[in-house]
Amino acid sequence: MAEYHLKTPLQDEEIKDLKTGDKVYFSGEAWTCRSKLQKTVFDEGWKLPFDTREKNLLIHVGPVIIDEGGNWKLVSFQPTSSIRFEKWGPASVKDLGLKAIIGKTTMGKDSQEAMKKYCCIHATPLGVTPTLFIERIKVKEVHWLEEMGSIEAAWILELDELGPFLVDIDCEGKNHFDHLDEKIAANRRSVYQEMGIPEDFEYTRLY
Amino acid sequence: MITQQVLGKAIFETIKKASCCIPGDIEEAFQDSISRESSSVSKMALEATLESLQRSRETSLLACPDTGWPLFFVEVGDEAVVEGGLRVIETASKRAVEKATHEGYLRATMKHPLTGEDPGNNIGNNVPNFTYKFVPGDTIKLTFVPKGGGSECFGGTRYQVMAFADGLTAIKKFIVDAYIAASRAGAICPPSVLGVGIGGTSDISTKLAKEAAALRKVGSKNPEPEIARIEEELYEGINRLGIGAMGSGGDVSVFDVNVEYAYTHLAGIAVAMNANCFIARRATVEVDGKGNIKEHESPNWFNGR
Repeated sequence: MAEYHLKTPLQDEEIKDLKTGDKVYFSGEAWTCRSKLQKTVFDEGWKLPFDTREKNLLIHVGPVIIDEGGNWKLVSFQPTSSIRFEKWGPASVKDLGLKAIIGKTTMGKDSQEAMKKYCCIHATPLGVTPTLFIERIKVKEVHWLEEMGSIEAAWILELDELGPFLVDIDCEGKNHFDHLDEKIAANRRSVYQEMGIPEDFEYTRLY
Repeated sequence: MITQQVLGKAIFETIKKASCCIPGDIEEAFQDSISRESSSVSKMALEATLESLQRSRETSLLACPDTGWPLFFVEVGDEAVVEGGLRVIETASKRAVEKATHEGYLRATMKHPLTGEDPGNNIGNNVPNFTYKFVPGDTIKLTFVPKGGGSECFGGTRYQVMAFADGLTAIKKFIVDAYIAASRAGAICPPSVLGVGIGGTSDISTKLAKEAAALRKVGSKNPEPEIARIEEELYEGINRLGIGAMGSGGDVSVFDVNVEYAYTHLAGIAVAMNANCFIARRATVEVDGKGNIKEHESPNWFNGR
């Protein structure tokens, strides 16, 4: 398991080195979104007011940010689950030109394919560490605050060694959790045995 | 008489505490898991999370930004007198939720399920939600649970009716399989406090599962030996699956398994599971008629556990 420290904008050459199971920290600019923003961009055709090929690190997160006397204050930050945005995953990679997406959990097969084709990774947080994260993030600006609301707006953040994140999808389209699924399935067979659950057990159908 | 002012203040402080201060039994579960976790990645996730939690407590910052559904579990003393009537429990709680949201102790997370309308204060139809029990005495004991979206939305809540012909084998298989599916890639933030409800109607079983996950202390046991054996068997079995912290692979896959049951119809056995995030948040306060406010480490919702 290697450890990487990357700075945005991210380049294909450095993203290609990352493999599933590696740890990665990010510095530089990143932007945020959740469902509402992706729905307006991908389903309703809104155009983001900044260049995502330059700001090519996206974080799926709904940060808690308050206006403190005209300054934005980040109060809490913890990436949210990416898997529920799978519908928009391939377009995020292909149309927006992203090189890395940070989010809790992982993404699905279509996103994995797109990440392989266009060279992008997905990285997932190691733990729930909002109070550690906020010390490594400065809020720069916000877009579509009124349209989306604070939690779902596109916040532009400046990261300082934000991490560690676990690379769960790499540019080869591999998924760290597919590998774990196999291990857990094997363990389940012995757990079934110890608990007296027959491998071929079928529930009686009640309806 | 319990005054509105005392009650309101006690509820607000309880919300703040639940959102920022991890309960002692959960902190112990973290420490115990760190000491026996052999996967370096899982251990790192547990250590970093515990460090963040300790800092949250010192600085009154959110333990997790997702403060989820605001849920109240209230034990009402049958001789308790509240200024303005018992309904004040709900009006005071709503005011406290609103204030806590505006002051950053709850994230404005609740929205209309269809229009997406965001009231900005976590108050809406059926939210916050209240569960009551009547108990002897003249106090109001209230537990606030910010129930996270991760554990609630991504497979941590399941329900199925089993035939008596399938019995305990089906129950165990259902819980093991459902927990594996829900833990994938850390969706429900494992190692969870896993609640299991057996029997009753669908809503009774899911409610018992929720209360077992959110209100019972880690390390508590069901007093009925047969139920305690199921808790133990599921705990041991799930911890041999290799799920690990945030599903990253490791030895500790579940903090605890708590089982509660209700008598059921002779036609079938409802089985429900509810997972609580490893950051299992809750806080309990008791208020009496003299204005005394007492904080409790555990809700003690199930009569001694």
